[in-house]
Amino acid sequence: MKASNLIESQLKDEAREITVPRERRMFIRIAKENLRKSMKKLIGLEGLTHLSTITGVDVGSQVELIYHIVYEDILVSLKVQVSKEKPILPTIVDLIPGALLYEREIHDLFGVRFKGNPDLSRLILPDTWPDGVFPLRKEWTPERISEKIEDNHENY
Amino acid sequence: MKTIKIPFGPQHPALEEPINFIFEVEEERVVNVKPRLGYIHRGIEKLAENRTYHQNVYLIERICGICSFAHTTCYTQAVEELLGIDIPERAKFIRTITAEMERVQNHYLWLGLTAKETGFETLFMYAWRDRETILEVLEMISGKRVNYGMNTIGGVRRDILETMTEQIEDKLSHLEDRAQYYKKICTKEQTILKRTVGVGILRPRDALSLCAVGPTLRASGIPRDVRADDPYAAYDEVPFKVVTYKRCDVASRILVRIDEILESINIIRYALENMPKGPIQVKVPQRVPKGEAVSQVEAPRGENIHYLKSDGSDKPVRLKVRAPTLANLPPLCKMLIDVNIADIPVVIAGIDPCIACAERVMLVDTKTKKRRIWSGDKLWRYSCEWYRKK
Repeated sequence: MKASNLIESQLKDEAREITVPRERRMFIRIAKENLRKSMKKLIGLEGLTHLSTITGVDVGSQVELIYHIVYEDILVSLKVQVSKEKPILPTIVDLIPGALLYEREIHDLFGVRFKGNPDLSRLILPDTWPDGVFPLRKEWTPERISEKIEDNHENY
Repeated sequence: MKTIKIPFGPQHPALEEPINFIFEVEEERVVNVKPRLGYIHRGIEKLAENRTYHQNVYLIERICGICSFAHTTCYTQAVEELLGIDIPERAKFIRTITAEMERVQNHYLWLGLTAKETGFETLFMYAWRDRETILEVLEMISGKRVNYGMNTIGGVRRDILETMTEQIEDKLSHLEDRAQYYKKICTKEQTILKRTVGVGILRPRDALSLCAVGPTLRASGIPRDVRADDPYAAYDEVPFKVVTYKRCDVASRILVRIDEILESINIIRYALENMPKGPIQVKVPQRVPKGEAVSQVEAPRGENIHYLKSDGSDKPVRLKVRAPTLANLPPLCKMLIDVNIADIPVVIAGIDPCIACAERVMLVDTKTKKRRIWSGDKLWRYSCEWYRKK
């Protein structure tokens, strides 16, 4: 079976939408409740599976996380959305230990908390960075961030 | 046994990515490692959202001083995919040639640095002298030794002229001879072998679960290479082999890279000979249609991935960049467990991190709370001395 068909058949229950923009690329949208289940199915496939990275995208009231997984010659981008109000997702570090720094990066820059991740201390932002400022969220424009940092330095 | 914590770095920002490691050690043995990043985080992803697609080519070029071409290739490919354009064949070959030249200069640079970490300064000087040869070629083609400015959306900006090929071949054969010589040294010379064989082990199972990339992964015997698995530019038209070694240690990482230099030289030769004639770029619009694309390239240090999202305007909504060093940090932490303090520099060098000079090292004795601050230079001297006594 072709790798793409295999992935499709594995995730047929979870996938809400599958798009194939070109050869060797696949975008699959799933509900956040199914994240760990889908991830388990993908890494359980025979052959090499590799997590390239996790991308965060601000899509308005939600933050979209895209897990880029390479299976054989296909790059699968698994998408889940989580609200900015309550940005909590289960960790996948126990399934894929290589996800550790990617989750911490998203935690710093988008403020998404990963339940079960053993260490969500700051990885990228400085120790003096103001709490609650998530620089890659759209509402934090470069101007607003500079203002906040200046205030913070005065009080520090 | 008492455990001592040793913060290592953050380093002087003379090169990319200064980093801090806190090592917990029992006598000479490292028992735990924690990395801390961000000392020169420049917010490039946020900056990219406020610049046009064309301006971003120049921004992306400056992510890295060594593998700048890999980043622009990755970025321009993503934009070209969204624009739905296919760049001219000749441009694809020029991208392949430049990418391989970049790999050669990177691997020579790395070989020198790794030699220095083992205290073998003659090899360091030799490798860096030879690296000048490939920099001269890059300068001849692009006008610059680093940050070549070759890529543009829709192709490349400069052609490789027929009058250059003879000179390029001269320099390639010199680089080939030298690489063969270094391979001999690195497989026979005792000073290198004693410091690298069996040091910094990364088992294939760990390499996969920790998502290692590039030469670090291939030195653990896993044949994964974006050029072969997800061909871009002209890699599907050029024969080459994916180099792997199975010993999983620093010695394997050296041999993978030396063999890759030889492979790259063959790729460049083949591509120069088989390069089709024709234009080197196509004109592209300012605005990019709505959509998203994921682009991958095999940078000298490993898999490089960019994600690009467009809303139809002339600026990206989101550009995500994951450079290979970030992917290789969890594997690096694994390799460092159980090594001696004296081996820390060479194991860190083994993944070819974008890390510059270790500015200072702080030793903390957890019992007495006594702190000693060491310079990176002192750690290096300590490690050379430790091996001399052994």
